[in-house]
Amino acid sequence: MKKIIIYIRSASPIGKAAFLLLTAIIILSIFGSQLSRYPHDLSSGKSLEAPSKDHKLGTDDLGIDLWAQICNGARISMIISLGVATLACGIGSFIGIISGYKGGIIDYILMRFTDMVIVLPQLPTMIVLGAFFGPSIKNIIIVLSLFSWTRIARITRAKLLTIMEQDYIKIAKGYGASFKYIYLNHIQSQILPIIVLCFIKTTGKAIVAEASLSFLGLGDPTSKSWGLILNRAMDFNGIYFTPYWKWWVASPLIAIVLLVVSISLIGRELENKYDFKM
Amino acid sequence: MKKELLKVKDLKISYFLDSEVKEAVKGVSFTLYEGETIGIIGESGSGKTSIAMSIMGLLTNAKIEGKIIYDGIKFNTLRQKELNRYRWNEVAIVFQNRLDVLNPVLTIREQIEEVLKKHTMKSKGDIKKRVKELFSMVNLEEKWLSSYAHELSGGMRQKVLIAMALSCNPKLLIIDEPTSSLDVLSKREIINLLKSIQKKNNISMLVISHELPVIQELTTKVEVLYLGHILEEGLTRDLINNPMHVYTRGLINSSCDINVYKELWGISPKINLKSGNGCPFYQRCVQASKECTQKLPRLSYISIERKVACNKGGIVTILETKDLSKAFKSHGSKIYACKNVSINVKAGEVAALIGASGSGKTTTAKIISGFLKSDSGSIYFEGKEIHGCEAMRKIHGIQIIFQDPFSAINGDFTVEKAVKEPLEILNIGSEEERKAMVKKALQDVQMPFDNEGLDIRCNTLSGGERQRISIARSLVMKPKLLIADEITSMLDPSTKANILRLLKGLQNEKGFSMLFITHDLPLARKIADKVYVMNRGSIVEEGNALEIFNKPKCQYTKKLFKECFHMTV
Amino acid sequence: MSKNIFKISVGYVITFLFIITINFFIPRFMPGDPFTYLSSDESGMNVTYSDEEMQKYKEYYGLNKPLGIQFVNYIRNVLKGNLGYSIILNDEVSKIIISRITWTLGIVIISIIISCFFGTLLGAVSAYNRNGLIDKIIYSVFMIISEVPAFIIALIFLFYFAAYLDIFPLSGGFKPFVEYESSFENITDIIHHGVLPAVSLSFINIGNFYILSRNSMIDILQKDYIITANAKGLNKSRIILRHALRNAILPIVTRIFLSLGTAIGGAVLIENVFKYPGLGTLMREAVFFRDYPLIQGIFLIMAVMVIIMNLTADIVYKKLDPRLK
Repeated sequence: MKKIIIYIRSASPIGKAAFLLLTAIIILSIFGSQLSRYPHDLSSGKSLEAPSKDHKLGTDDLGIDLWAQICNGARISMIISLGVATLACGIGSFIGIISGYKGGIIDYILMRFTDMVIVLPQLPTMIVLGAFFGPSIKNIIIVLSLFSWTRIARITRAKLLTIMEQDYIKIAKGYGASFKYIYLNHIQSQILPIIVLCFIKTTGKAIVAEASLSFLGLGDPTSKSWGLILNRAMDFNGIYFTPYWKWWVASPLIAIVLLVVSISLIGRELENKYDFKM
Repeated sequence: MKKELLKVKDLKISYFLDSEVKEAVKGVSFTLYEGETIGIIGESGSGKTSIAMSIMGLLTNAKIEGKIIYDGIKFNTLRQKELNRYRWNEVAIVFQNRLDVLNPVLTIREQIEEVLKKHTMKSKGDIKKRVKELFSMVNLEEKWLSSYAHELSGGMRQKVLIAMALSCNPKLLIIDEPTSSLDVLSKREIINLLKSIQKKNNISMLVISHELPVIQELTTKVEVLYLGHILEEGLTRDLINNPMHVYTRGLINSSCDINVYKELWGISPKINLKSGNGCPFYQRCVQASKECTQKLPRLSYISIERKVACNKGGIVTILETKDLSKAFKSHGSKIYACKNVSINVKAGEVAALIGASGSGKTTTAKIISGFLKSDSGSIYFEGKEIHGCEAMRKIHGIQIIFQDPFSAINGDFTVEKAVKEPLEILNIGSEEERKAMVKKALQDVQMPFDNEGLDIRCNTLSGGERQRISIARSLVMKPKLLIADEITSMLDPSTKANILRLLKGLQNEKGFSMLFITHDLPLARKIADKVYVMNRGSIVEEGNALEIFNKPKCQYTKKLFKECFHMTV
Repeated sequence: MSKNIFKISVGYVITFLFIITINFFIPRFMPGDPFTYLSSDESGMNVTYSDEEMQKYKEYYGLNKPLGIQFVNYIRNVLKGNLGYSIILNDEVSKIIISRITWTLGIVIISIIISCFFGTLLGAVSAYNRNGLIDKIIYSVFMIISEVPAFIIALIFLFYFAAYLDIFPLSGGFKPFVEYESSFENITDIIHHGVLPAVSLSFINIGNFYILSRNSMIDILQKDYIITANAKGLNKSRIILRHALRNAILPIVTRIFLSLGTAIGGAVLIENVFKYPGLGTLMREAVFFRDYPLIQGIFLIMAVMVIIMNLTADIVYKKLDPRLK
């Protein structure tokens, strides 16, 4: 915790702002239901009310409070993106580390497999998988993770290859050090910052991907994410000709942009910190 | 069959000091044939002069045991009077050149004439003639005959002593340190003089000296004396080129006349005189083992004309490789990085593997240390075949130091962790023991070893310091063989010099052997005892460093040296 | 060289087989019978099938045959161009795709031209003014733009330029129910409709081009021949365009092909924002109505296009870089 505070202190003003924003959104996602007066899934006013004291961001076509939906959407975005990042970093770093450490045929097979997944067109494949597996948070996390681990695997592998080149690894191996020893003493401290960075970047990417899928109508209809709010709004006939879009479309849109940009800025801040470019 | 002129058998000399009896010579045996010259070498206090004096029967207050047989006569049982018949007539001695060897109040002439008077019954005129003859023999002008000892220079005095010793045409000449404290030119002159005298008169000589060039030039055979024991005996040339006893090698390495290029390092001086009945050299020996504390080694033949007194049969071979080969595939054809490489490294020796880059040196080093598998051939460490990195994983094994000090040490590690790593991986010792070992190793490499020093992060250290850490990491394993792969090539000249001195000093103190891999020929010349020249994966020339650097035989080596030393070979 | 291309191609052929396999097995691995799923009331639309229809589809899929034979048949069909039969449009999937693909490819290619041109140019400008104010501004703008998802940008464009300013049409690829007087009018109408989708789509790749160009330019600008050019007193634009950019063009050409791959994926979203009549919109409709043969067909076509683009990028890269020859 102390370390994090020191990091933030040393960050640039933009980085600090981004961190503040992210903290706010996280708080929103955790305490969303306390922070909103109305339920996010039940009608609480007239349909398509403009923002007022009562409904801070107005209501949608079913009269559901948009602020409540945004708060709830934040939670869903967080759950999905953290889930994806965890899963992807787990798989990716595992494959990357094994591949880089073992080298040889294992490396070859794993990397060819990774290449194959990288070449797959992401969004269409996600649509197909999403369409067939059916929209639920769990499925979305799995589908998104399937595409997010590849870059992490490549990056960790590349880093591991440079570590493995070092003479100190050769010497440690010469002394008969086990994988566990080498990993804990030599590799972990060097690979961890990269994984943290990957984690943050994947979180951002996952939010975008989830929003994209939801926007296409492939989100989990029972848990309304920001993308799904957008989707509903865009499906509303004649949304362009009414003033409704000013709150109905704009609020999830701004929410997505703020979250994604703040995460990416934090990522960039860390990149500079570790002097590491993806 | 040559005639035995002097035979010393099991000679023991003890001096009666105030309260104790001190044994100076402990059972020395050797034989001097007629016309032969034997040298006795050894550090001061090894008993060389005692032997000379005992042959002449000049020792007082001492007990002499064993036999000194001159021409069939047991010298050491003769009474002084009987002995006097032989003294100077048959056996003469050239004393070590000290000011008061000659009487300061008598003229030189008087001092020479008196021996002639005593031993030959010649007339005054004959004596005068003989003195002149002697002076011309030693290239001294006659005018000096009437001067006093203090009026002569050191070289002249030495000549006088020689002239005096030759006066009665002795058959055996004992020469004690003939050149000590002389300047270079006088030294040369004396050596040449003694050489010509020996040739002309066919005198047998017993030359006692700690100066190897004298021994090298004058003698055919050498006895190496240490604390009253002969540790090695052999033909002079062989012995100096290829010493088989650690002590002999140490003596040779300490001589700047023989080691023209190398840095000088004495034999490590941790000496608290011998106790018990083990090998006398045990405490200073780099290959001593427990056995050596118990057992007194006997001087025995290890090859024709060579005797060594060592429980291990002389300097042991630490590392031996037999026909190591390794090929890499490139564009469908095989390229040998290393082809039938056979090298051996003896205990306490620095063997240099030299050659241009790409000649296969590093491949060889990697194979020996186990980081690379050879296609064929085998490696023996202390006589046992080893595979892979097994020798690296034990105390007293093989350790390797790499070229790049930055790559060799994880920069995130603290100094303590970096040095301790092998102990941790191999689970050697308790936590405190490990720390103590780390501290010792750091002290050895002259790095701070207090708690503050231990906590320094390695990435704050310079290349030279990291190389020291690298060395310390090897030292905690107390290696018997250290492979140093171009360890100085990435360092600046000053750091390089420091690291090398440090390493050589450690080697001298700890007695490990080194396989020093380098393309830096002047460097190799500076530290190597033995040299292997590699070209295109094969050893093209090998041998004693001095010989190779002075007289390379192989064309490739010649070319290499020509480029490097601007040498015309 | 040809050996190299062969080697690369093998990897892609395997990827292609992998995609076909996914396409083949996914409906079969789904829990339960795909047709009970198909006929279930999933999306709120009443898509129920009569027994007769069910029978037709079952036969079409050949679900009564062993899996191996089904797979072989499937591959044979795919290679023949037979992608199945769309449920909602009542037509052959391949025919439908052919009718829509030009729309998608149109905006994709135009977007690549836009992003390549502006990205490269701005990258070069940025590199030339490295660490100057202009560089910092352009760099920051691009950093933010490249993080914001393109469909969000598209939405913003839609509401600002189309709904608010009303200078571009809100949706579609052409004016419906209009007889064009000339082909010129036809073309202007199509361009008018295509501007916003193409421009928004270009945001997917423009950041990549910018970074690539900036980095390689920075690299090149440190080379000696640029110093020489400066010494000769040439003006900025000539140095950037004639001397530097020519050298930087190599990685950019490679990037064009890779970008085509990403843009095809991105087009799915952008088209939906503008209801543009390309494959993306079609795919969403297919998803909405759970028209599986159509989804699979579109996916397959898109995947093949992306793979071909990547393969081309790989080959071009190897061809162009003299160090790899």
